[in-house]
Amino acid sequence: MPVMNTEAGRQAKFNQLAQAYGTDLYRYAMWICGNDALAKDLVQETYLRAWKALDKLNDIGAAKSWLITILRREYARTFERKVPKFTDVDSVVVPDDIELEPDDRTEIELLRQGIMKLAPKYREPLLMQVVLGYSCEEISKQLDISKSAVMTQLFRAREQLKQKLRKDGVTGNVHELF
Amino acid sequence: MSMNFSEFKRKLGAEPRNEDPEFLRARHSSPEFEEAAEAADRFEAKLERAAAVPLPEGLIDDILAFVEHSPERSARRNWWPMAMAASVLIAVGAAGLGWKMSHSWESVEEYLVDHYRHDGDKMVVMAAGSNANNVQAVLSKLDVSAAPALAAIVSVIKYCPTPDGKGVHMVLNTQNGPVTVIYMPHAKVTDGEMLAFDNVDAVLVDLQSGSAAIIGAGVKGVSELYTLIQTSIIPTSISS
Repeated sequence: MPVMNTEAGRQAKFNQLAQAYGTDLYRYAMWICGNDALAKDLVQETYLRAWKALDKLNDIGAAKSWLITILRREYARTFERKVPKFTDVDSVVVPDDIELEPDDRTEIELLRQGIMKLAPKYREPLLMQVVLGYSCEEISKQLDISKSAVMTQLFRAREQLKQKLRKDGVTGNVHELF
Repeated sequence: MSMNFSEFKRKLGAEPRNEDPEFLRARHSSPEFEEAAEAADRFEAKLERAAAVPLPEGLIDDILAFVEHSPERSARRNWWPMAMAASVLIAVGAAGLGWKMSHSWESVEEYLVDHYRHDGDKMVVMAAGSNANNVQAVLSKLDVSAAPALAAIVSVIKYCPTPDGKGVHMVLNTQNGPVTVIYMPHAKVTDGEMLAFDNVDAVLVDLQSGSAAIIGAGVKGVSELYTLIQTSIIPTSISS
C-alpha cells in the first residue's frame, strides 16, 4: 500500500489498520488483562499511539506485529507493574454455545481456566499462535527469544493444558487427545 | 532422513498447523503419525474455540471514534504523559486492586467507586484544555442528547461500562473545576443520594431515561450541577 501524504490518505490507512487488526488485538488484550473494559481501553490506547506514529509505519505488511508491540508496551506501561495479574478466569466469559455437547463444553471451560493459569512465558506465545495466528518465527521475533525456545514453550503450554484436562478427570472425547 | 516420531510429536505440540512439507510428509508416513496428528487436530480445534473471546458490539467503530475525538490527536500535547506518570499512574495502580475483573458490581455505588478509581483521574487529566465536539454523536448511540448548556461544557467524553451495559463517561469544565459525569442508561438510583470516597464527592441523579452520577471535589461543586444534569440529558424521542 503506498504511503499517502494527505490527511485523507492517512485516515484511510488508519481505518484499514483498525478494520484489519482491531478484533485480533481486542481478543489478545482480553486474554492478557482478563477484562473486557480494560481490554477495550488497551486497544483504544494502542490505536491512539498508532495514529500518532503512523508515519513511521512504512511497511503495511509489518502492521500487525507493530500494533502488537505497541499494545504489549502499553499494557506493561499502564498496568503490569501496578496491578496484580488479571487472571480471574471468571471474567473471560464466553456465552454458552448450543452447538456444543456437554462434554465438549466442559473441556472448553477447563481449557479457558487452564490458559489463564499458564505462566506468562507459556501463555503469551500460545495466545500469539492461537489468537493472532503467528508462526513460531513471528513469535520469536515479537518476544525476542529463539525459535527453539518458542517451540519448547508452546509444546509445554499444550502439555500443561492436556495435563489439566486429565487431572480434572474429563471424560468422553478428551480421552482421544492423548 | 525422515523425521522420527519423537521429533514429530515435538513439532506437533509446538505448531500443529505447521505446513512445512517435511512435517506434512511425516504426518502421512505411518498410521502412528497420522493418529497423533488427528488427535492434535482435535485438541487444537477445542483450544481455538476456548480462546475465541466474543467481540463487543461496535468495537471497530468505537476504536475509530475514540482516536478521532481524542484531544491528543488534534493537539498532540507533550505535557500529559508526564502528568500521567507523575500522578495518574499512581492512582490507576492503587485503584487497580479494586477494579472489578467482571461486571458483577453489587450496587451502583460500588460500581461508581470502582469505575472512578479505574480512570476517573486519568480522564480529568485528559480533559484539561480540551473541548469535546462529539458529545451528541456519542450520546445519540444511547438514544439521548445533551441540552446546549451541557454540551458546551463537556471537555472529554467516551463510552464506558456500567452495571447494566454501555454508558458514557464525560468530564465537564465548570467554574468549580473539572467535574465527572457518568451516564448509566439502565441503572436505577436513589435520586439525590450523596456519596463520598477517596478525595471526591458524588451525587446520584434520576433522569428521564436512566441515571447519572456527578463526581468531583467538594459537595458544593457537584450539587450545583444537579439541576443541569437532571434537565440536560434528554431522551432522543422527546428532544426530536
